[in-house]
Amino acid sequence: MNINKNYTCKVLKPEDFDIFWGAVLDDLNQIDLDPEFIRDELRSTKNIDVYQVFFNSLGKIRISAWLSIPLCIEARGRIPIILHLPGYQNDPPIHKEWANHGYATLSLNHRGKVRSRSQFDPGYPGVLTHNITNRDKYSYKGIYADVWKAIDLLIEASSRYDNIFKVKLDSSRIGVAGSSQGGGLTIIASAMRKEIKAASAGAPYLCGYMDAIELTNTYPYQEINDYLNLYPDTKDDITQTLSYFDGICFAGSITCPIIMNLGLQDNVCPPETGYAVFRNISSTDKNIYEYDGYGHDAGKNIHSQIILDFFSKHLKEGD
Amino acid sequence: MDKLRPSDFGTYWYGISQELSKVDISPKLEFIPIRSDKHATLYSVAINSLDEYPLYGYLSIPEGDPPFPTIYFVPRNASVLEIIPQGTSNLIRDKFVIFSLACRGMRNSDNPHISMYPGQLTENIETLDKYIYRGIVADTLRGLDFLITRPEVNKNALLVSGNDNALFASALHGAVTHVVSTPAYFFDTIDLAELTASYPLEEINDYLRLHPNSKNKVINVLSYFNLRWHAQAVTAKVLLMVGDENDVYSKSKLDPLIQNITGEVTLKESDNSAYKDGLFIQQWIADEIGDGVPILPDHWK
Repeated sequence: MNINKNYTCKVLKPEDFDIFWGAVLDDLNQIDLDPEFIRDELRSTKNIDVYQVFFNSLGKIRISAWLSIPLCIEARGRIPIILHLPGYQNDPPIHKEWANHGYATLSLNHRGKVRSRSQFDPGYPGVLTHNITNRDKYSYKGIYADVWKAIDLLIEASSRYDNIFKVKLDSSRIGVAGSSQGGGLTIIASAMRKEIKAASAGAPYLCGYMDAIELTNTYPYQEINDYLNLYPDTKDDITQTLSYFDGICFAGSITCPIIMNLGLQDNVCPPETGYAVFRNISSTDKNIYEYDGYGHDAGKNIHSQIILDFFSKHLKEGD
Repeated sequence: MDKLRPSDFGTYWYGISQELSKVDISPKLEFIPIRSDKHATLYSVAINSLDEYPLYGYLSIPEGDPPFPTIYFVPRNASVLEIIPQGTSNLIRDKFVIFSLACRGMRNSDNPHISMYPGQLTENIETLDKYIYRGIVADTLRGLDFLITRPEVNKNALLVSGNDNALFASALHGAVTHVVSTPAYFFDTIDLAELTASYPLEEINDYLRLHPNSKNKVINVLSYFNLRWHAQAVTAKVLLMVGDENDVYSKSKLDPLIQNITGEVTLKESDNSAYKDGLFIQQWIADEIGDGVPILPDHWK
């Protein structure tokens, strides 16, 4: 299949896009974070302290995460942080391998994930279309808020709560990374929070939704097709809602260094939508890595070293 | 390590099958309109398993005249139950009966027990009769018990697909004709866990780090689940997906498993590409139980 790298997605950024999200951020700022950091004896090693973390997000929903902090490092002072954002159906892992590279890592279990589902749980399949006809109630409003609140958590962890940790964190050096849904959330995080100093987005989901459902017949985007098959009259409402949530509409606000990797045979998040979001990114320091012969893995096996080198350059130089 | 076949290995697994046979399956199906179309109909399935544990699954039936070749996506080490695995063309439901099952602890089968991820692999791992995988293997077999009651299922073309549970299914249930398996945690578990810090195998390392005095108990329990000892009972045709030589589950490390499987084995070393590996799997399935034409998503054509 030949990929049209100049594919233009249909989404139009709503005129009140910034007003809508500004109000959400205002609401989010009113939420008391109330963080807890509980060292997990079972998951910690002699080289890495692992913490179960809990905090409040939009709607006072309690969110969990895994924080891994390397102990045996020769860093000067504080260490950089990477926020890892999860795939759609994945159970967020504990990123010990990143801690071994000298980063504190926060792996977010946003609302609906294991350990964060007691107050919000549309299930899988289901999250993608939960309240999809109403932008104020759509599932991803809360999920995006959880991502932004996780950045507040990292700032607090490196200031007010830093006496908890043996090694101190540096909130002036936060990177964000993820693939698939994690790639889409990386776009959202780096667009809206200037504390993000470098971003790596793989095979981004949540970009060009209404094009993706025509370019693929696989889950999770198939959830939207299923919904439209049953409720065909809702197409305009869905299109309207998703325009507020489309990574393509956020991308213009990204100014930090960013890399993106795409699999040209990606059957889950069509590469056409990846190219579309990449074109919209405002950052002057952006690079795209295209992997022919690879699917939704987006060349992960090859690309991993590139991501390591990228974060080393942007978060560690000067150490 | 866990490389000694327990003397009561056969008795243990026969006992589980006997216990399972005493539990009425009690299947209840409900139509799910949002996941159904003119080509295929989806049902939720509720069945009972070992210890009367209630399980949930998805059953997709193609339109047309039965029976149909059938693919059973066995329970996996993850919280989410998928109708079909992410990235699989939804058109596969037009030609195959598709069944997917959540084992105890997964979403939809999490009442009364909720598993954590990481965490599931070591639940009650010191006690053979309480280890979570005793129930999970039984759940996997119960899925087959249910499937063979369905008139839509072609009993000569019943493929199980998944990780280690797919091989357990074939070894312990006579209904399986084909297997697609990517072993990930039950071959020489403790030895291979020492080679990685990635989950789920890291769960084993975590557990033994915190409970070093329990190592012999863990070794004993895992010896009943070691695929080494199940391989000989696998008589179905098998597509075995293995990692490259840098992988914990590489061809060379899995060689004792590969050599001991009784059924015909096709070995595929991963290209570390979801696309290339996926093409191979879909072609194998099409050749073995389909019409020879793989059902591919558009970006793979």
